[in-house]
Amino acid sequence: MIENRPWLTFVSHAVLIIGVIAVALPIWVAAVASTHPAEAFGQGSIPLWFGDYATETWQAVLFNAAGNGVDVPVWKMMLNSLVMALSIAFGKIAISLISAYAIVFFRFPMRSLCFWIIFMTLMLPVEVRILPTYEVVANLNLLNSYTGLALPLIASATATFLFRQAFMSIPGELVEAARMDGAGPVRFFFDILLPLIRTNIAALFVILFIFGWNQYLWPLLITTDDAYYTLVMSIKRMVSVADGAIEWNSIMASTILAMLPPVAVVIGMQKMFVKGLVDSEK
Amino acid sequence: MAAVVLNKVGKKYPNGFHAIPAVDLEIKDGEFIVLVGPSGCGKSTLLRMVAGLESITDGELTINGTRMNDKEPADRDIAMVFQSYALYPHMTVFGNMAYGLKNRGVDKETIEQKVADVASMLDLSALLERKPRQLSGGQRQRVAMGRAMVRDPQVFLFDEPLSNLDAKLRVQMRVEIRQLQRRLGTTTLYVTHDQVEAMTLADRLVVLNKGNAEQIGSPLELYDRPATPFVAAFIGSPSMNLFAAQLNKKTLTVGNSVEISLNSEHAFNGSVVWGIRPEHLTVCETDADFKIRVKAVESLGAETLIYGEIDGVSEELVLRLSGPHQPEINSYISLQAPQDKWHLFDAETKQRL
Repeated sequence: MIENRPWLTFVSHAVLIIGVIAVALPIWVAAVASTHPAEAFGQGSIPLWFGDYATETWQAVLFNAAGNGVDVPVWKMMLNSLVMALSIAFGKIAISLISAYAIVFFRFPMRSLCFWIIFMTLMLPVEVRILPTYEVVANLNLLNSYTGLALPLIASATATFLFRQAFMSIPGELVEAARMDGAGPVRFFFDILLPLIRTNIAALFVILFIFGWNQYLWPLLITTDDAYYTLVMSIKRMVSVADGAIEWNSIMASTILAMLPPVAVVIGMQKMFVKGLVDSEK
Repeated sequence: MAAVVLNKVGKKYPNGFHAIPAVDLEIKDGEFIVLVGPSGCGKSTLLRMVAGLESITDGELTINGTRMNDKEPADRDIAMVFQSYALYPHMTVFGNMAYGLKNRGVDKETIEQKVADVASMLDLSALLERKPRQLSGGQRQRVAMGRAMVRDPQVFLFDEPLSNLDAKLRVQMRVEIRQLQRRLGTTTLYVTHDQVEAMTLADRLVVLNKGNAEQIGSPLELYDRPATPFVAAFIGSPSMNLFAAQLNKKTLTVGNSVEISLNSEHAFNGSVVWGIRPEHLTVCETDADFKIRVKAVESLGAETLIYGEIDGVSEELVLRLSGPHQPEINSYISLQAPQDKWHLFDAETKQRL
């Protein structure tokens, strides 16, 4: 912007500050609530400053069973979430890379048909096909397992499409130069292709990790064993208590814990993420 | 070092398009062959067929007597320099040059030795650790050549390697490529649309027109005795003046105003294409063969190009005179066309008479 109008600066700052407050306030409230006893939150007034109950809440949340029929501590659920999110992210990237590689660089019969079939699955997310998918997973005896949590979510048309575009932007002469240099399909894939699109991969990893971490319906459906509960779905379970007080303090603490890994991933990979989305240095 | 033989090599696309009907070409060991022609004439396709990047649908390609039609590009023992250079952007200059050797399982010390040798030959020694994007256009071009040279291939293939450089650098690299090829003695096939490049680099030129080799010969052969009007117009700048004319044993008639009587009787009788190069026309006071009316003048300092028309003839004519001249527009100039500099082609068969 080259405009220099004081009131414009003021207004834009005001808008931004209001936006930040709107986003940050719930997180603040959650952080504060986790430092008060469970009743404090239910009494109608929402405390806005830290209480003195923090140590007890956080200790209980991290190391004791979460309660309300959930027999595992939050750290174990975080681990489950992490395993699930990472396997989904890596699985999706691996399988999409391979399928996009096949579609872009190899001539085989019905190539474009294959692409369109993959592309059509965009219209069939897990939520739409959840019952048949459940049946398949159940028949394969994958209920209550990490494989069952991650595998059905791994196929990804979006990622395949994204990699296809990235591959297609690689100049043909580069591919030919590699062929002349004696690089076979595997060598070309690892030596030339992967380094060229590593920022795209990083950007996609961020998106997919958050996608996997925030999965709710699928883990809810296929896990009945507490040992495989993920954090995001368990928070819901903690809230729905039949009778007695809701433990708002531990719920808020879990919420904050549930937020941290995605935030860490975004902050840690921010630079590559932005580069992968906007950069086209080829 | 190797001899490359193309025996009726042709290319037909699945949709029936015959890009290259049949090209016969024997390249001797160490020869520098330039494929030249207007865009779309199939010169790049032919080069890529030799490289193995396009399939050969007809005929046979042999390098050193071995049939190469179905071999992978990497197994043909050739190296190619691409128009865009096609350097690997994520590798250093060293990495770019070493990659081909590494894939062939050459041991590390040999690779380092070879890359260092080639780098010093190309003045790249100080740049080995840089990435391609940190190099200028000319340096990238050298790296692309270095990558081809380290492999010590039987044949070099160049696909318009200089067309991305500015004019000055192009001339410099042209000279350098020629010297390098002479020094290494590697058989070379070079594609260009620039006829100056073609004339200066080639031992022999192949002029391609719609996939056919119109003529194969040394640059001066093609200049002095073009086989067809196409070659005549393509080689030489500005290009040769060509006129539809009638040859009647003793006289040549162009349009309805020019009649030149031949010094010696010609056996041919009928429609011809008559050609005379701009630099072979001479201005004269008497005994003029014809007159032109000046339409435009381009003064280049060392020489002057005069564009004109013969009254009653539709084709334009260019005249090239050395030194500065300033004839007035629409004035007339009398010209002589020395008969030993004529080029006559059969108008039907397009062959030289």
